[in-house]
This record gives sequence, C-alpha cells and structure tokens, in this order.
Amino acid sequence: MLSMRNLSRVYRTDTVETSALDQIDLEIASGEFIAIMGPSGCGKSTLLNMIGLLDSPTSGSYRFDGEEVAGLPEAKLAGIRKRSIGFIFQSFNLVDELTVRENVELALLYHGIGAGERARRVDAVMDKVGIAHRARHRPSQLSGGQQQRVAVARAVVAAPKLILADEPTGNLDTVHGEEVMRMLQLLNAEGTTVVMVTHSPAHADYAQRVVNMLDGRILQERRRAA
Amino acid sequence: MLKNHLIVALRRLIAQPGASAVTIGGLMLGFAGCLMILGYVRAERSYDAWLPGHDRVFQVQTVIRPPGTDVVHHQGSSFPVFERMGADFPQVEAITSIQVGKTVAEHDGAPVFLDAVSVDPGFFRVFPLTFLHGSAETALSDPAAIVLGESVARQLFGTADVLGRSLTTGAGDGKVPRRIAGVLADLPPNTNLKLGVISLRDPNGVPPPMRGWGNFDQQHFVRLKAGADPATINAALPAWEWRVVPSRLEGGAMVGMASVFDFHLVPITAIHLGQAQEGAIVPGGDARALTTLTVVALLTLAMAIINFLNYGTARAIARARDVSLRRLFGASRRQIVAQFTVEALIAAAIAMLLALALVEIATPWLEALLETRLPRGYLGENGLLLPATGLLVAVGLLGGLAPALYAAKGRPAHALGANRGSAETPGSARARTALVVVQFAIAIGLIASTAVIYSQTRFIARVDPGYRRDGLIQIDNAWRFTQGSEYDAARPQMQAIPGVTGVARTSLTLNPGEQPMRLMQRDGATDHVTMGFYGVDDAFLQTMDVPLLAGRRFDVARQGDRFDGLSPAALGERGINVVINRAGARMFGLASPGAALGQVVRVAFPGWDGDGMQMVPATIVGVVENTRLRTAREPLEPLVYAYEPQQTSTVLVRYAGARPAEVMAGLERVWRRLEPEIPFEARFADDIAADFLAADRARAVLFAGFSALAVLIACLGLYGLAAFAAERRTKEIGIRKVLGATVADIVRLLAWQFTRPVVLANLVAWPATWWAMREWLNGFDIRVPLTITPFAVAGLLALAIAVATVAGHALRVARANPIHALRYE
Repeated sequence: MLSMRNLSRVYRTDTVETSALDQIDLEIASGEFIAIMGPSGCGKSTLLNMIGLLDSPTSGSYRFDGEEVAGLPEAKLAGIRKRSIGFIFQSFNLVDELTVRENVELALLYHGIGAGERARRVDAVMDKVGIAHRARHRPSQLSGGQQQRVAVARAVVAAPKLILADEPTGNLDTVHGEEVMRMLQLLNAEGTTVVMVTHSPAHADYAQRVVNMLDGRILQERRRAA
Repeated sequence: MLKNHLIVALRRLIAQPGASAVTIGGLMLGFAGCLMILGYVRAERSYDAWLPGHDRVFQVQTVIRPPGTDVVHHQGSSFPVFERMGADFPQVEAITSIQVGKTVAEHDGAPVFLDAVSVDPGFFRVFPLTFLHGSAETALSDPAAIVLGESVARQLFGTADVLGRSLTTGAGDGKVPRRIAGVLADLPPNTNLKLGVISLRDPNGVPPPMRGWGNFDQQHFVRLKAGADPATINAALPAWEWRVVPSRLEGGAMVGMASVFDFHLVPITAIHLGQAQEGAIVPGGDARALTTLTVVALLTLAMAIINFLNYGTARAIARARDVSLRRLFGASRRQIVAQFTVEALIAAAIAMLLALALVEIATPWLEALLETRLPRGYLGENGLLLPATGLLVAVGLLGGLAPALYAAKGRPAHALGANRGSAETPGSARARTALVVVQFAIAIGLIASTAVIYSQTRFIARVDPGYRRDGLIQIDNAWRFTQGSEYDAARPQMQAIPGVTGVARTSLTLNPGEQPMRLMQRDGATDHVTMGFYGVDDAFLQTMDVPLLAGRRFDVARQGDRFDGLSPAALGERGINVVINRAGARMFGLASPGAALGQVVRVAFPGWDGDGMQMVPATIVGVVENTRLRTAREPLEPLVYAYEPQQTSTVLVRYAGARPAEVMAGLERVWRRLEPEIPFEARFADDIAADFLAADRARAVLFAGFSALAVLIACLGLYGLAAFAAERRTKEIGIRKVLGATVADIVRLLAWQFTRPVVLANLVAWPATWWAMREWLNGFDIRVPLTITPFAVAGLLALAIAVATVAGHALRVARANPIHALRYE
C-alpha cells in the first residue's frame, strides 16, 4: 500500500539542524496493523505525519498506493488525505464549538457528499462506536473515552483505506484504552490498514508488526506470530 | 506594584507590535477626528463671546412675513426701533444703530475698498472695544472724525499710531477729508462685526426713505441693564409693535404693518449659528452642518472605542489562562483589574499623543477647507488639554475595566481545565459580533452618504442655470459707472474690446445678496404676493442669454418700457411694462408663459416720502426662463424685471472668441480711464457660481474624509478580530485540514465568519442612511433621485474591504501546517 525509500526529514531553525527522520525504508502492505514504538523524540510522530501526508520529506521517495507523493502540492495531498486516510489523535482534537454529530460529519464535509447520504453514514458509524446517544452533546460534556470514540467515528466515517492513530490511548484509562484498541482491531479485521504510534507494549501487542525507532532511524522490525 | 504594572504594560505593547499598532492607530484616528470637530464646534460657538459683558448684548432681529411667500428671518430691523426702543423699554441701557458698507480711500496712488460702518454716538456704550490710540469718549465727537481698525491703519499708513492724521474717503462728490480720532485693536476672528472705518452717522440726518418701518438696512444692538431679562422684553415687543408701527390704508382697509414683521432680541453670541442669516454682516455658520459633523465625529470615536473594547476583551480571553494562573498564585481581583486598566490607559495615552500631533498637522488643512480659524493651544478655556485628558482617561478606564472585569470574573479552574481551546463563552462572541455590526453599519452609512452627497454636489454644479455662464464677466460696484453720461462713454469703449459681444446693466447680480421684495397683486386676484423686483437695462436679457419664452424683451424706443424719472404717483397714472420669469408667471397664477402676456399686475412702489405706498399697474410684455442665481438649496426666485437702468450698479459683459484674461484686462483699462477713484472688481461668472458650491463641496470633502476615517477604523477593528479569531481557531482549522479541507475551504470559512456581520450591517445601515439622505436632499430645491446604487456600492465596498482585511489572516492560517496546531495543546 505504501513504501518509503531512503526518506529523510530535516528541521532547520536559524542555528540548529535536526534530523527527525534519517533514511527510513518502510513498506506497509494493505490490511496490515502496525505499531510504531520508541522513546519520546525518536521521530515516531514525524513518521506518522509523513505517512499521513501532513508533512513532506526533505529527501527520499514515498509512494502511496503506487503513486509518488513526495513533493506533491498541498492541494493534491489534501485530496489524497480526505479520500484515503483517517486520523486519530492522543488529545482527540475535537472541535469544541461543534456537537458530536457535527464533529463526525466534518470528515464528510469536504467530500462533496449530499446531506442525506452524510446523515446516513454518520448515524451508522456513531452506532458502530456506541455514541449515538450522545450525538447532540458538545465534546466538553463527554468523558475522555467517549471523546476518543467520537474521534474514531470521525476517522472512519469516510471509509478510509488507512487509519493513522497517534497514541490513541495515551489520555485514557486502561478500560477505555482497551475499548479503543478493540475498535481498531475490529476495523483492521474489516480490511482497513492501521498504523498506530504507542508507548504501551500491551497495546502494541494488538499489531501484527511492531516498528521500533530511535533517533530518527528504524532500529528493528518485529513481526508477531499470527 | 504600579511600576510592575507599567513595565508589564509596556512590554506587552512592544511584544505585540501589530496588535498594538492596530489598537492605538484606530484610537488615534478617532481621537483626532473628535478633537478637530470639537475645535470647529468651539470656534463656531464662540462668536462674540470675547466681548466684555456679552451676556447683556442683544441684536434686534426681525421676522418678516411677506404675504404669499416664505418667512424671512432678518438680522436687520427698522430704523425707528433705534429711536423708540431705548425710550420705551427702561431695561435698555444703551442702543446703537449701525449700517455696514464699503468706502474707498486712496493708497499708493490706487483706490482701495475699505469696510466701512457708520454708527451713532452710542456705539461704544454697547460695544466697549479696546482703543490702541484715542478713547471712546472723544473718538466720534464730530462727523469729520473716524476710527480705524488697527490692520486698516497699518494697511494705509504702515503704522497703527495715526491719531490726528487725515484720510480722504469716498469718491466723486462724496469725497470727504476725515480726521482719524481713534485706532481700535483688531477684533478676534470670531465676530459678527466687520469694522474697518467707523464713522459717525447723525441719527437726525437719516433721510426719510431710510426711516420707514419696512426698511431693514441697519442693524440694532442693545445693551441691557444688569439683571434685566430679555424674555420680558421679547414678550412685550408684539404689543409694542402694534402701538408704534403705523397702519396703512390698503384696498379700503387698514392693514397693520405690525402683522407683517416681528422684532425680537437675540443674544449676540447666538447670531452666528442662529436662524436669521439674511442681512448678516459676516456670513453665518450652518448649525445643521455643525450638528451633522459632531454626530459623525462621535460615531467615528465610538467606532474607535468599540475596537478598543473588542480587542481588549479578545485579548483578555486569550490571557484567561495567564490570569487564572496569577489568581492561583494569589493575585487579587483588584490587582488584575489594575493591571488591565494601566495597560489600557497607557495605550490610550499613546493614542492621544499621536492624535494631538495629527491635529496639529491637519488643523491648517481643515481651516483652509472650512474657511475659518480654529482655536489653537492647549491651556485655557478653549485649550485642547482638558478635553484630550478627559477623553483619554474615560476611554482608558472603559477599555481597561470592561475586559478586566470579564477576565477576573471567570473561575480559575474553568480556564485551566483540560482540553479547552478557550475560555470563550458564546455570549461574549455574540457581543463582539454585534459591535462589528454596529461599526460596519456606521461605515456603510458614511460611505453611502458620501456617494449621495458627491453625486448631488456634482449634479448642482452641472445643472442648467437658465443663462449662459461661460463667456460672461460681472463688474461690481459700478454704481456711478452705470449712470448717465459715464455709461454712455463707457459702453462703446467696452464694446470695442476684441471679443466683447454684449454689455448690460443690472441690479440683479449673479450673486445676489438681498432680495428686493415688492408686494404685488394681479388684477382680479384677491391675494397679494411678494416677489423680487429688479431694475435692468434693455441689453440685460440678451447679454445673460436668458431664453425668451413669450412676448418680447425691453425696448428703449417704447415709452411704456421706461420710467423716465416719473414719481411713483405719476407711474401709477401711466403704468409700466415689465418682463417676468416662468416662476413669476406661476406665482401670479398664470397657466403658461403665453397666457401671461398682456396681463396687468400691480406692483407696490415705496412713496418718495418713506412709508407711503403706491400701487403701479404693470403690463407683462414678456416671459423669460428662470435663472438660478443663488445656491441650489434656495428655490428658483419668481421675479419681475423692469427697465430701470438708474437702479443698477452692476455691469455684465458677454464675450466670445477671445482670451478671457485679455478681455478682463481691456475692461480694467476702460474702467481706470473712466472711474479712477473706484477699484476695479470684476469676476467671471464661472468663478462666482463656484463660490456657491464651495460650502457644499467643502462639506462633501469633510464627509468623505470622515467616511474614509470610519472605514479605516472599522478595518483596523476587523483586522484585529480576524487575527484573534484565526489564532483561536487554529486547532479547529488544523482538524479541518487533516480531514481534507483545502486552503480555499478554510479561507472561505473564515471570510464567511466576517462577511455575515457585514451583511447584517447593511440591513441596519440602509434604512437609517436612506432616511438621513432623504432629509438632506430635501434641503435642496433641485436634487438627484435617491436610488439604490450608492447603497449597493457602499455595501459591496464594505464587504470587499472586510474580505480583503480578513483574507490575509485566513490565508496565513489556512496555509500553516496543521500538525503544529494539533500536536501541542
């Protein structure tokens, strides 16, 4: 589904040059569930952003669905993002001013889908993650677990091929964390590719492959027995 | 603590230069506009307030109600007022009668005009003016004595110390040697008086025609005794008039002249902006325009304050977390309020300093535009220091307290709570939007008004005046030149100037001052009408190029056209021929110009003995088009022309195919040859017409200036709010981008957020502006139709400006990489 060759990302400020990603080679096949692990600042999130087309490589190649995407203009990237990728964040990143329902619908807003079809798909996905009864609430009125379920619903409502989750359980207690992990597992079982950054070895165990990173390089890849 | 507040405040201003510039810049513009208009208002309201004991000095004004036409509010009053009022009202300490005109004196071999005023001996008791040389007691002791104003003395003699020297004034037979018996300090610019050469007028020597009750050529001022109530006198005046004003026999019935006019006392300080401006010595101010300007200035200030408040509360929200932290560490609510207030006061103070600099720079420009002198200086009663300080403290306190109370009100835990993008409540956002609506409503209203005023000003500048304006010169002060043999000699010489095609004499000038009204009555009609009656010569209508609608023009060869020096009584026997204009025909109730021909109307002629009145039958032999000789505000004057060159004092010259300046120079040479004792004063008709437009044009420019100011302030405010909103919505925009929104989507989203209030502002602004502009246009006799165009233009312009203002921020935020917004809360 995607392949990175020799991919680097360098951040420059006036005085310092930081190599966030250093000559990454990574292949991810369709239908995989991958966990990226590593200490803070090792480049996990940069890699996830790179995969999600939120950041562009300084050098190297990145093919997404067979198409070279390194150096594509932002408008093209935005198009691929909305068609193919769903995002889940540690801090949920829901819009406070919108209701739960509107937050989920947001992911369909830029797809040119009619209001009726949008409503149908939003209802279906809210049912699936079990937050339909909270549709009219504001994010601030929900618990953390409920908020992350909304975020998951928003990530999957457009039926993306790839879901990127940046420490989706980081702000949740164990019970709610497990709940989110089971949801990701279910989505993966339905055929969606999932790439997740996590600190938790227990949650990494849900993945089929674990990528360990250090100082912007991939240290080790470990495939779990099925 | 205060030092700490000051340091923090200054650092905050410096740390956010863009935001500070927007806030302070807007406030500066609002302050500057307000202070300048305040100066103008003060200047206009200060007329003659410098006069010692001005609260006891009053002008006797007259309300004239001529039959069949509009009421006239006149600053003059009948001469008998002077003779009787002092005796009949014991409250009057002194009364003076002054008559204003011009005189001629020789200076460096050439004649110069001087302002001249003739007064009775009581003048200096009413007006205790300052003498540089001589004294009020001795100044006007005999008819040969005159008093000069300081600048006139310097103009003629190069020094103010001219006591005892002689000055010859007047021309021809009227040339009189005078002895300078006093020199007055120049009057301040804010005065209703115009003194150049003051001479004595013997009250007993006033000729009978000037003594009539119907003559308002002089002004009367009274000084009341201390403690006297002018209201008592005003209340007693109607009864007094019936007692002293004689009635006259008219159509077999006694008609009281007292019913036609009413006298009343008006404080000298109220003359300048008063209702009565007819017969004013110094052109009066326009109270309505002054009110309008004041309102506009206050609206502009309000807009600037709204910016200040809006931005202050917006920042307070952004700082809620910071404030909450401070409160956790023990800062009291009072300390937080103090911090905010000091910050706002400092911002307001900087804005005021800049505004004062701007006022200094802009005042000369405003003075030139308004043709006035504005008070300068900072100290004293009319100084800027007091209003400037008051304004800055009021605005500073308001701008500090409102957001401070808002920020200090919140519970610390609320703002510090997890996963909250802001401590914003929906209510405060609504309030800010409402303020933006108000601001843009003002801006849109001002833009639309400017457009209407501009098109009206253009329209009245181009409207057909009813005569041909180009190629026409008016020579003023030709009161000797137009008469008898002098004109017979001058006319061929003027016509010999290359390009000159016509020369005429008239009493109706292209810039008429007084309207010489006569009572008239069409034969068979029951009602009287009052209309202008003007003496012209036989060449006038052709020279002016006024279209003839029916009948004929004057013809010297016809006996009936001429007065031939007959007395009113003899004219009453014989009758005269007249030409009237279209409006005159309508006033007589004549259906068409053609229907007017041959009709007889009776025109009142003042008897040669003053009060008597002779109705002279006048046959209408011609009807001509109306001419617009006054401002576009005044209705077209219905009038009657008579062949009466002996009443004229103005010469009109028509030319074609020649250089205007050469024609003018040729006319001056002829004038100098024949009239060496009187200065040559001639102007092109186009220039005279431009004068009438000047006041409206100046107002239009001022209005446009304030509109621009208002738009600028509104934009500054919107810019600040857009910056704040973009900052506050960074996270949301990041999420939207992650979900696939393009830059265009985001820009559209933010632009729409600020478009809505502007659209709403149109709904508020349009009806109010429509009403105000309709009222304004109704003040004109001719006016452009009020269409939707200026409103649509203003609305679209405001929208475009708003979108352009917001677009910058929106684009910046929309282009930013969303991961920065989303990673770090």
